[in-house]
Amino acid sequence: MPIYLYIDRGTFVHRLHPTVKVFSLFVMFWSVYWVDNPIALLPIGLVMLWIAQLTDSWPNFYRLRWLFAILVFTTTIAWMVFYRRGAVLVNIPVFHVSRLSLVFGLGRGIKLAELLAASVLFLSTTKIEEFTYGLQRMRVPYRVSFAISLSFRLVPLFIDSAVTIVDAQRLRGYDFNQGGPLERVRRYVPVVIPVFMGALRKANNMAMALEARGFGFSHEPTTFIEYPVTAADIIAFAFLIGLGASYFMLYWTGLGGIGPLK
Amino acid sequence: MKTDAQSLSGASGTHAVSVEGVTFTYHDGGRPALRSVSLVQNAGEMIGVMGASGAGKSTLAKCLNRIVPEFEDGDFHGAILIAGESLEHLRVCDVAPKVGMVFQDFESQLFSTNVAHEVAFAMEQVGMDRAEMDRRILPALEAVGLRGFEHRDPMSLSGGEKQRLAIASVLALRPSVIVLDEPTTDLDPEGRAEVFALIRKLREQGLSLIVIEHESEELRAADRIVVLREGEIAADGPPSEVFARTGLLTECGVRPPGLGHALELLGIEAQPKSVDQAYEAIARAYPRVVTTGSDGGHGGPPHLLNARSSMPEEPKAAGDTKIGPSFIGIENLSYSYVGGPRVLDSVDLKVEVGEFLAIVGQNGSGKTTLAKHIVGLLVPATGRITIDGKDRSRMRPAETAREVAYVFQNPDHQIFAATVDDEVAFGPRNFGLAEDEIRRRCDEALEAVGLQNERQSDPFLLSKGERQRLAVASVLVLRPRMLILDEPTTGLDHREQLRMMALVRDLNRSGIAIVIITHTPWLVAEYARRVVLMRKGAKIFDGGVREFFMQDDLLRSSSFRAPEITELSRRFGTLALTTGEFVEWVKGRA
Repeated sequence: MPIYLYIDRGTFVHRLHPTVKVFSLFVMFWSVYWVDNPIALLPIGLVMLWIAQLTDSWPNFYRLRWLFAILVFTTTIAWMVFYRRGAVLVNIPVFHVSRLSLVFGLGRGIKLAELLAASVLFLSTTKIEEFTYGLQRMRVPYRVSFAISLSFRLVPLFIDSAVTIVDAQRLRGYDFNQGGPLERVRRYVPVVIPVFMGALRKANNMAMALEARGFGFSHEPTTFIEYPVTAADIIAFAFLIGLGASYFMLYWTGLGGIGPLK
Repeated sequence: MKTDAQSLSGASGTHAVSVEGVTFTYHDGGRPALRSVSLVQNAGEMIGVMGASGAGKSTLAKCLNRIVPEFEDGDFHGAILIAGESLEHLRVCDVAPKVGMVFQDFESQLFSTNVAHEVAFAMEQVGMDRAEMDRRILPALEAVGLRGFEHRDPMSLSGGEKQRLAIASVLALRPSVIVLDEPTTDLDPEGRAEVFALIRKLREQGLSLIVIEHESEELRAADRIVVLREGEIAADGPPSEVFARTGLLTECGVRPPGLGHALELLGIEAQPKSVDQAYEAIARAYPRVVTTGSDGGHGGPPHLLNARSSMPEEPKAAGDTKIGPSFIGIENLSYSYVGGPRVLDSVDLKVEVGEFLAIVGQNGSGKTTLAKHIVGLLVPATGRITIDGKDRSRMRPAETAREVAYVFQNPDHQIFAATVDDEVAFGPRNFGLAEDEIRRRCDEALEAVGLQNERQSDPFLLSKGERQRLAVASVLVLRPRMLILDEPTTGLDHREQLRMMALVRDLNRSGIAIVIITHTPWLVAEYARRVVLMRKGAKIFDGGVREFFMQDDLLRSSSFRAPEITELSRRFGTLALTTGEFVEWVKGRA
């Protein structure tokens, strides 16, 4: 099973200039940030689904399907505990089940799912080198941009190692599902420590290998790949500006909140 | 277009490397890792560096590109010169165009999402212009045999290909010296063969190479062998001289080449570079052996029946454990990871009580997946597994652990406790055993693995070999009836390998069934009594060790080589699994 999310396809999204791709991630986050209403979140969700279809990113969404489901479900349920507004529809101890809390919770769940979806789309269509280049063009120093993009590359490696460690501890009779929520978190110590130690070792090896390859030799390394700006980049950039502005307008006018639903 | 490695090298001057009286002590280390080491490498020379873990091999390699003392902090004295130029005051990145370094962990040295870009990475860092990078990429890939892979994702390559890619990215900078620090430790036999074929090619083309390696057979092509012991040079000379000093090598934790050792035990003064040379030397000294047992030496492998008639009986190597009734039963087992091809295809297998089984095969052949099914980490798509007659699908992994224990390849995947004692006690505590019973079991397990004096030590400060034995103790404490060890000797020096395998053999003799997953031919030959060969998820051989090493076609197609001593014995019409066995056979017929 591949541990990285990048899916090599020749779609126009894949071919977009790295700066536009990094900018698109920013705009997606920006747009989702300003609105709470599930209906207002729908258009950008549809845009993401369209891009997923266009870029053939479904395998990554399928891989993370449980994470999406858990995000939406647990967030909706959690807000029914903490968001205690509106007329109660059903009496359940601890929970405040009202139309308002349902909509608010669902909105928060969709919001988180869309933030995750934006990241998945970005990583499905953007190479690490493009990420670094895009950040550099946005005036982020090379060392910082390289470190950020490399950390994305390392996450799947750490997940892979964590899965092996969980297996190793289960085979020593360890039950991760004992006790209440806090106890369950505490029970992950036998996983966290080996992952952390492994991460330190890996980071050390990588740092050595990087320096041995000349990392740090020049403050502004050259780039092997050329990224020419095309008409598609300009159109995409204009579309993203429009999208970001529209979502800010939804916030500004109050249409993006859950107020109208009250 | 220039394509050979010579054209990639910027080698010049007489001495490619001069190490002058280098002493280095890590800031947290008690004794110096290197002590007054002086060494000169001529341009175009290949030096093999050997020694036990902790002898200073990697420290010496890291000195050559300033990782020591620039990156690894400590007290450094002496001087290093590359092509006559001192490295003093240079940063690691400044040395990159002069000294290329390839590390053992291939995944930590690949940073890009495409092969061509990976080769370009170092050139980008030193600020090379795009046209020059373009000119250098294809020759570098050509030199390592990866031309045509330019657009592949490095993560999709095999281990051997990844390591060759790492070498290509180093070659592209045209350094005058390339240092390879145990480049094949994590590779399967096919990957090892690929990388060593490349090293030999680069050596023939005149690159200055320094290769750190545990397996002496692989370094016969070197011009010189340097053996380190506790930070000092214990031997330095041509392979024929150094490899003849078997006593010294063993003392230094280096496995002497099997052929040379055999000749020494037979009283023949020669250091053969190949099985052919060893055959000729023995044939000259013991002509009766040729006439009584051989097919003439050049007639290819003996017929199985002829060879069987003159070879020792199986089982032999792992002692005299009695093999009992079937313990593990696997019927028609198939499995695929989500969205992937079949990784196990209709596998049938039985493992008996007290058996010693080796599972071999290339990476991706399904060995580990099979083992994970036995211990219950994976659920079969089709098929059935029984443990001591019980259906495994009805047992939880924790329950299975009391019957079958699994030791992962990397011991660091389970170690977390503050002391060795707590680490071992973790398993029994999970099963809710009484404290005095836990104590008794921990004592027993630590005694078995030889760590009884390390009870209060921090597991993270133990050596790799000790951590591997700790991992064994931490599952042994559950008193399983079978132990599966995934690559138990990877990354260990010869001394640690022997210690680990002696432990495994003792456990087998005490009645525990052993299954080892390994790529190492001599481990199979010396310890196992049965071999299962996997290929593309299917079991393609299941039988005795001697029979396995007679399957030339199977071995070749699986990139698995018999130990050289076994190959040599076959030239004489017998089949010996160990040096001692072969020498005994020759002397018995002389």
